Amino acid sequence: MQITDFSQPIRQSSKGIIIIFGFNAYKFFKKFFVLFVAFGLSLLKKKSFANLSPTIILLILIGILLIILAIAILKYLNFKFYLSKDDFHLSTGIINKDNTIIPKSKIQNVYIKQNFLQQIINVVSLKIETAGDNKSEIEISALDKPTALQLKKELFNKAQHTEADLPLYDQTDVFFKVSPKRLILEGLSQNHLKSFAIIASFVFGFYYEFKDYFKDLKIRDQVEKVVDLDDESLLNLLLINVLIIAIGLLFSLIFSVLKTFVTNFNLEVVEHQKTIEINKGLFNKVSLSLTPSRIQNIVITTNRIKQYLGLYTLSVKQAMVNVKQQKNFAIVALEKVQVAHLVDKLLVNYTTAIEVFKPEQYYKRILALKLIIPMVIVNIPGFIIFGNRMWWINLVLVFITILYIYYGYKKAYYKVNDDFVVIGSGVIDTTTNILETHKIQAVKLRQTIFQKRRQIASVVISTASKDVTIPYIKEKQAKQIYNFLLYKVESQDKDWM
Amino acid sequence: MFTNQHIDINSLPNIDNVALKPISKQYLKIIIFNKLLVYLALFTVLFLARFIVDKEVIQSNFWYLFSVLLTVCVINFVLALLAFSKRKYAIREHDLIYAQGLLIHSITTVPISRIQHIEESRSWLARQLNLATLKIFTAGESGSDLSIKGLPNEEAKQINDFLSTKVNANN
Repeated sequence: MQITDFSQPIRQSSKGIIIIFGFNAYKFFKKFFVLFVAFGLSLLKKKSFANLSPTIILLILIGILLIILAIAILKYLNFKFYLSKDDFHLSTGIINKDNTIIPKSKIQNVYIKQNFLQQIINVVSLKIETAGDNKSEIEISALDKPTALQLKKELFNKAQHTEADLPLYDQTDVFFKVSPKRLILEGLSQNHLKSFAIIASFVFGFYYEFKDYFKDLKIRDQVEKVVDLDDESLLNLLLINVLIIAIGLLFSLIFSVLKTFVTNFNLEVVEHQKTIEINKGLFNKVSLSLTPSRIQNIVITTNRIKQYLGLYTLSVKQAMVNVKQQKNFAIVALEKVQVAHLVDKLLVNYTTAIEVFKPEQYYKRILALKLIIPMVIVNIPGFIIFGNRMWWINLVLVFITILYIYYGYKKAYYKVNDDFVVIGSGVIDTTTNILETHKIQAVKLRQTIFQKRRQIASVVISTASKDVTIPYIKEKQAKQIYNFLLYKVESQDKDWM
Repeated sequence: MFTNQHIDINSLPNIDNVALKPISKQYLKIIIFNKLLVYLALFTVLFLARFIVDKEVIQSNFWYLFSVLLTVCVINFVLALLAFSKRKYAIREHDLIYAQGLLIHSITTVPISRIQHIEESRSWLARQLNLATLKIFTAGESGSDLSIKGLPNEEAKQINDFLSTKVNANN
């Protein structure tokens, strides 16, 4: 491996021009996409647009591309970075010169990513994240892989040096590598209702956009014909609906599998002495490292089928990372033992042997209310449209509600000890939420006036990345937990990050 | 030396034993003023609609709409008045406590060691009444940020000073 000297200002790989050019061109075309469509359409119709002939338009386009290219080259030439002992320096800007200095100790995360274009020309981009707002992110968009890895190493190495003088990279091994089979199983056993919702909203959006076209197809008349309510066509309507839902579910199934497969392709968990690294992705390759001290919450999810197949997802919430990247911190298709191992590694002293408590029975009422209210609301238009004929549908809904309450209550529990708060929840999914007591930012006791009479309250615990709730427990107990957690936070001199 | 003594949960500082202090009565004026503004606007819109828009729907349902709005208005005011007495705060050695809410009562405690920064803001009306709002920011979700409204200005300053020195001493 050739060694790059980072102490002198250097540019990124010259392939960076292509990346910057590609990225800017893409942004440009995306912005004016509608305009281009309009161009194209009117060109087809009239052979000209605003008195411009196709040749001139082509010339204009080439001109724009040349300008973007020129900007890309200038950007590349003016993009220089180097490392000093404690800081990362970066100067950018063609006309306005920007000089950014990031102290290594403030670096939150270093990602290595590779999008499709970058995969083709074989470079990676390196992203440096700090604890500040989103604007303080820095991305170097084209480095060859060894250089990127080396830079990452140096950024992290020294950043950690102050905390512990341990050599970081002596012990690394690939701890977990997902097989395609497990990935497909993972995709199949997902909560398809979610994908269904995504697809449904997409279809509706699509329909809304192209309403006029559909009107031409006279769908409306056909639908109205079907909604002519005698008993036979009612059955037809029902069949059609069932068919639509079946097709929708099939699509969501395929969608889930593809999505899981693409985002988690070749998922790999690498263990270093102190950190854990995740590599994954088919088109967009990402590489992330996790440092235990920055972790705020750990969430383990599974569901009935997944439990049977031995598939667990571990997601890690870190402080000050935006939502898009939050999603990337999920490791899917883990086995139970592996989850336990990772949790052990990420949380010092974690133990599952803590006394388990359940929420009060009152929680069942809240769960019931959550479904009964929408049920009543659905019933009103249902009654208006179908009259007295469709009441039996409520039987199904009541059945679903009972299942919902049963599982919602069954899966809810909480555990508190000196170092950890563990909260279980979920209805379809089974979710386990773990947080360390010294990462708590604030504690809140919540109680409605109805609960006050019954002496029931909830405790909301905030960390830097998530709020979790211990729902509906005895007021006395809630206050004890409240006092205890505050005592824990205030008596220890532990940093939350 | 490291010790790990057993903790008696009942001997810990208890949230129940804290004497919470109500915020300044003056702030009620601001709440009422703000609400009046909102409802004044709503009623104006309603009346304007009656006299300008020439639609049967509005004309025939006017008194119905009016009474609904009036009921909402009255309930809102009564609840706001009752809830006002629930707005309380306290400062302990290590944390800051704020309680509020009638229908949904909540007590939030932020340890001083977790405070990121403090902001004191005063609207025009608050300046006239010599009040201030103290905003406490933590690194947590927005749910863990506190905003104590309607503090007497002097007191807000004192709290701000106290907290700032504490926060800085911690770092």
